[in-house]
Amino acid sequence: MFEKVLIANRGEIAVRIIKACQEMGIKTVAVYSDVDKKALHVQLADEGINLGDPTPIESYLNISKIIKSAQDVGADAIHPGYGFLAENPDFAQACKSKGIKFIGPSPDVISLMGDKIAAKKTMEQAGVPVIPGYHGAKQDNASLVNEGKKIGFPLLVKAAAGGGGKGMRIVHSEDVLEESIESAKRESKSSFGNDTVFLEKYIDKPRHIEFQILADEHGNTIHLFERECSIQRRHQKIIEETPSPVMTPKLREEMGNAAVKAAKTAGYYNAGTVEFMIDGDLNFYFMEMNTRLQVEHPITEMTTGIDLAKWQLKIANGMKLTLKQEDLIQRGHAIECRIYAENPSNGFLPSIGTLERVEAPTGPNVRDDTGIYAGMEVTPYYDPMLSKLVVSSENREESINKMIWALSRYVVLGVTTNIPFLQKVLSHKEFKAGNITTHFIDNYFKDWTIAKEGLPIAAIVSLAVYDSMHSITQETVRYKESDPHSPWKHVGRWRMGVEE
Amino acid sequence: MFINYECENHVYNVSVERRKDHYFITYDNAEYKVEAEEIKSGHLKIKLGDRIIKSVITKGKEDKFVFVDGDVFKVKNVELTGARKTKKKKKEGTLDSPISGKVVNVKVKKGDKVKKGDVLMIIEAMKMEYIIRAPYDGKVKKVNFKEKDQIEIEQNTVELTKEEEA
Repeated sequence: MFEKVLIANRGEIAVRIIKACQEMGIKTVAVYSDVDKKALHVQLADEGINLGDPTPIESYLNISKIIKSAQDVGADAIHPGYGFLAENPDFAQACKSKGIKFIGPSPDVISLMGDKIAAKKTMEQAGVPVIPGYHGAKQDNASLVNEGKKIGFPLLVKAAAGGGGKGMRIVHSEDVLEESIESAKRESKSSFGNDTVFLEKYIDKPRHIEFQILADEHGNTIHLFERECSIQRRHQKIIEETPSPVMTPKLREEMGNAAVKAAKTAGYYNAGTVEFMIDGDLNFYFMEMNTRLQVEHPITEMTTGIDLAKWQLKIANGMKLTLKQEDLIQRGHAIECRIYAENPSNGFLPSIGTLERVEAPTGPNVRDDTGIYAGMEVTPYYDPMLSKLVVSSENREESINKMIWALSRYVVLGVTTNIPFLQKVLSHKEFKAGNITTHFIDNYFKDWTIAKEGLPIAAIVSLAVYDSMHSITQETVRYKESDPHSPWKHVGRWRMGVEE
Repeated sequence: MFINYECENHVYNVSVERRKDHYFITYDNAEYKVEAEEIKSGHLKIKLGDRIIKSVITKGKEDKFVFVDGDVFKVKNVELTGARKTKKKKKEGTLDSPISGKVVNVKVKKGDKVKKGDVLMIIEAMKMEYIIRAPYDGKVKKVNFKEKDQIEIEQNTVELTKEEEA
């Protein structure tokens, strides 16, 4: 097994991977930018290397600095986490040429799947269904507008190199098509350094359902069932669950086979995810393959009992899969909520500041994958996700109730979070009924704001009691109030509680 | 003691007094008699009639945060001096930046005529784009930022003279 692994990431996923390495007796190296000096992943790792400037391109996206760091500390493998360099073929190639094992698929596969157009063509040829659209090379505005008109509205403008909703626009009418294409190109350029876009038919009542893949480097490929990720805001997932409420054993088998076929066609190894779109009639279409560990991987771990992060390490180390497709089972139901520092009442704008208090809920089958602690600064440099709360139960209804309970006991003070919003979504009757699509948030929570009825009496009473307990003037009040025989009369100055 | 709490531009006048084992809180002409204990630092357990309130309070640099029943409120202790605090009202169709970030595109220059809904400026933060649109027809009086400038939250992006005033 590897002796020392460098984790080229930050936040909760770096923490997750460090813990997996520690369990397996592997030494860990964290990298961090100047603003992350005190971050949790740095605290947990055996060694830490400062990458300098917090701008991603100078730190977590800087291939040469990261490779040099790995060489300096003698790391024999690099785990890229998700985001940043996880799906960058140049990075995987750079690792390979320096003799450092990249924990993920080969650079060629990352390259193929990173080019969404080439990926779709490959899948279409392999007989995996894809969505109608324009994936051509003509990228001037006039050609794209023309192709867009042919496909019809609504349509989707997507960054060829994209993911996570970056560089993606829905266009409902012709008059905003050109503006949307320009905007998607710009965002794609700044996020991925590539402004190629493609156009696609927009699917009615779409659900986002993806399949987890594990493949070893010896040709064995299995899927670990589906994850339903339809609840999204700004095209980013916020709530994921498994099994999908719409899944049938027959559909699961068909989609699972298609996912395995997609992975095998690409020559895929390590952990990966095949994303599908399902329409209202349960037709499924290949969307893309994510060549990395997904944010929402814990729900699969909760229902299958399989540790995906550890399998990534084992596979990268050359181990054969010991899991057989027919032996895998899904037990119960798991839900994940992504906790973001953002304000749902104000267009989900990120919220920054100091975390004054953080207390995560604990209980049976409650898992908190976190990268935060009290006293930490949330900076504007990186994705505003703070943690992932995951629960599992015997069935969907119990999981929903458990998640609502857990969220109501998740204390994050100092920045605005989406926790109250998540509770409202989970409590919505259409969510409970399983009637969800990727439009769910837009349909039911478009102009949602926290009910501004002011401070409830419970908050006012709490504040008043707190201030009374912690006030210096309190001692005189108490002294005057006490009866003439009270022992307090003789104790002199004293103070309630302890100053924070 | 008398305390004024400000939350969401609302001021709450509260008084609290401790007598023996009870706290008496007066707010909005009502008195609440409660029993309370701090079960651990910042965690309160309060008995109000037959209701049990469990809350968590933390002091930040300027604000206090109250967590109760899964909701969070940001509150400031304020001194009221003479005149009543005027409520800050959000300007309709504001041209202030909603976010701290980097200006990635400026679509207009001084003197340009714009129509309601036209894109004036695009700001990027946390890998997302925020578009500043003209809230009304008008003429650009001044553009306060250029491409690649850093912009802070609530800074004015573009000064726009309304059509009828232009």
